[in-house]
Formats: sequence, structure tokens, C-alpha cells
Amino acid sequence: MTLEHLPSAAPSLARLIQELNKLPGIGPKSAQRLAYFIIRLPEEEAFDLAAAITAVKQTIMFCGQCQNLTDASPCSICASSQRNREQICVVEEPLDVLALERTHCYRGLYHVLHGVLSPLNGVGPDQIKLRELFARLSDGAVKEVVIATNPTLEGEATAMYISRHLAGGNVKVTHLARGLPVGGSLEYTDELTLSRAFQGRQAVE
Amino acid sequence: MPPQRTYRADALVLRSVPLGEADLLVTLFTRESGKVRAVAKGARRSTAKLVGHLEPLTVTRLALSRGRSLDVINQAETLENFTPLKTNLTAVTRGLQVAELVDGFGSEASPNEPLHSLALSTLAAIGQAPDDELPLLHFQLHLLAVSGLMPELQNCVECRRDIEPDRHRYSADGGGVFCPDCTPDQAGLRPLSLRALKVLRLLARSRAADLPSLRLEPVLTQELKAILTGTVQYWLDKEIRTNSFLNHLAQDQTRRQIPR
Ligand SMILES: [Zn+2]
Ligand SMILES: [Zn+2]
Repeated sequence: MTLEHLPSAAPSLARLIQELNKLPGIGPKSAQRLAYFIIRLPEEEAFDLAAAITAVKQTIMFCGQCQNLTDASPCSICASSQRNREQICVVEEPLDVLALERTHCYRGLYHVLHGVLSPLNGVGPDQIKLRELFARLSDGAVKEVVIATNPTLEGEATAMYISRHLAGGNVKVTHLARGLPVGGSLEYTDELTLSRAFQGRQAVE
Repeated sequence: MPPQRTYRADALVLRSVPLGEADLLVTLFTRESGKVRAVAKGARRSTAKLVGHLEPLTVTRLALSRGRSLDVINQAETLENFTPLKTNLTAVTRGLQVAELVDGFGSEASPNEPLHSLALSTLAAIGQAPDDELPLLHFQLHLLAVSGLMPELQNCVECRRDIEPDRHRYSADGGGVFCPDCTPDQAGLRPLSLRALKVLRLLARSRAADLPSLRLEPVLTQELKAILTGTVQYWLDKEIRTNSFLNHLAQDQTRRQIPR
């Protein structure tokens, strides 16, 4: 059953299905199932869900420094006096920051790219937060950039682009150790493997 | 007899994109049956063994089952990883252009073995000479050839007379070179230098595995790129996406070489 077959008497339902259908990984059928689930929810639970979405949109922003999602800029990591301000770890997505924080082995700052270079999909340096990264390095305060993009073809291409851009400068560029499963993602990597990869990080020549 | 439910194939991975929670949707170019789109279930979880063998620009031996809309990948084992290509940013981007064009010119359920071999030997050649433009230019010309779209480089497309030195023009939509007496209505007739014509003829005769060693001047390289990209794009009927990042890298390179 597709959207066209919905009873026209329920335009609000059609609208909900249409909106859910826009979510990643949600096809028309799943959108319909979710919509019916929401309809059967007790009223206050459904309103809580709506309120949570509203609250997140009203309070969450990009941290002006690390570009992570936060409810205050600078975020708690960037604002913390406990963090080593000479190190920046570059990751693809906000979830990667959470994965690395769970290892408790890194005390520096982060930079979230919100994507990777993807020549096949027309994603170039200007479409991810690379310019913001290079701007953070311009005053010389940062001594080491740890590249922690995923060990995929595009993650590696992004890593090569960053190290090429920083080559010959005063910033030491390191890369998480191999041993992370090729093609995998930080998000799905267990903490032990991840902390080992961190400790074994290597300089990029 | 119904077709078998499971089958094996050797394939070049052209593209792999996340699907749902943890699956990968993989576009493959198989020697046996052309382009195939297949799903690898659960491949993005780090415990999955499939994922490393399904990276783009990997030749992999697969066991698949036929599905209703998409085939399902049950096993994958890397045959060739093209490691030298993947450790150089420009080379890997050129490799991705090969993948993009194989995806664009290959068709589903119709094998094109010459295109399969061409793609593999091109990826190897790019890895061996990451700074050389020639392997990709050679690929573009031979891509047209194995797709039955080879531009005419010997005789005038219209009157079939031999092309006189230095008096020719080229048209992508016209299908090749034209003598000065023949001026077809098609737009896009452009000058073609004798040197560029000679390089094109030489490339047409060469194999990716042993390309001639040519030191091309930047002007000549630009001309060849413009002609080949223009022709490939004409048949592809859309922009070559990887070109914008390749151009960015080339400009970046030039900027670094000029001392400030
Ligand atoms: Zn921050
Ligand atoms: Zn003629």
C-alpha cells in the first residue's frame, strides 16, 4: 500500500507518514507502520515525542569550535579546562566523538567534519567542515592533529586530503593505527579495539 | 529449468552505500553478467566479515543468492585490492572516475568482458603511475571503443577522405574528425591539434598494461582531457561527478608548485 491509496479523509495522517518517510532508512511501509504506532500511543507519550523534537531543534546547534552538536557553544568538551588544547582529533560524525569518549584514553579536543570527501557523490572539501578545521589550526596553538576518519575508501581519502593540506606545516599529523576493520566504522567498533587504535596512532609522513 | 538460486561471480566493486541500519547496498561490475546491485546484510557492524571485501575499487570473489529485487551477498573474498592506487589521493580519485564511468556505461544483466578487463588493467596502471594522466585518458578512449562509440580518428566522418595534416576539426556528437570541406550542422565542431590527434591514435592502438611513456606538455594534456571528457560526457548524457574533485586537486597541486 502506498501513499496514494490512503483515505483522503485523513490528510493529517498522510502528512505524518510523508514526514516519517523522509527519515533515513525509513521507506513508505515503515513510515506507515510508525505512523499507526504513534496514533495508538497514549496522548501524553505522543506529545512528549513531539516536544522532544521541538526542543532539540530549538536548542541544538553546531559548536563554534569543534562543530559537534551541542546545546551551548562552545560545547562542554571545548570549554573544559581539563582537556589538552594542543591536540585535535578529527572524526566524521558526532557519534564518533561518543565512541572515542567511551574509551577514556583521549583528553584532547575534537573536530567533527559531518561527512567525508565523496568524489562519486559530488561531496568536496567545501561541503564538509574542513575549512573550519584549517581555520582552527592557523594560530599555531595546536601541535597534533589525530585523524580518526573511518577506515573506508572515502574516510582514507579524507585523511589523505587533510595530511596533504597540512604537510610542511608545524602541526604533527597522526592517524589511528590500522587494526580497525577495513570498511568498518568507529561507531560500531568496540572500545578495546578503538583505544588500542588510538594508542598505536602513527605519524603521517 | 529455472535459473539457479545461488551463483558465484568475480566482480569489481563500483560503489557501496549504507542501506538501513547496518546493511550495504553494493554496485558490482561482474565479468559474467555485467552490472549487478546486491545487498550485504549486516555488513556495517564491525564484527561482519564481508565489509572489508566490499570497498569500492576492490576485485572480489562473491557468492550470491538471487533475490526478488536485489541479490544478496553471502560471501566475499578479496582477489585484488589495488593498494598502490589507494595510497595516493589523486590516483584513488582517478580510480573512482573509472568506477563512475563503468557504472555509467555498463548495463545490468548484459556482460561486457572487454570493459571489465579494461577497468581492471586501468586501475593497475593508475596505481603504478599515480602522477601520470595517461592511464585515465587511455581508459576514456577505450571505454568509448568497448561501448561501440569509438570516435573516428582516421578519415573524415562525412566524406571518408584521409585527414590532411593539421586541417581537421573534431566533433563529439558528429562522431570524430572532419575535413575542412565538410561542415556538418552539428554544434560542437572544435579545432583539434595535430599533436592531440596523434596522441589519440597512439592511445587507440595501446594497451593499458603497456602504455607508451609520453611526456605531454600541460597544454596538450588539457586539450586531450577536454576532447575525451567532452566525448564521454556527451554519451553519458550527464556531468562526470568525480571531475570536480580531480580539478580541485590539480589546481591545489599547481598552487603548491609555484613558489610564493
Ligand atoms: Zn566544541
Ligand atoms: Zn570530409
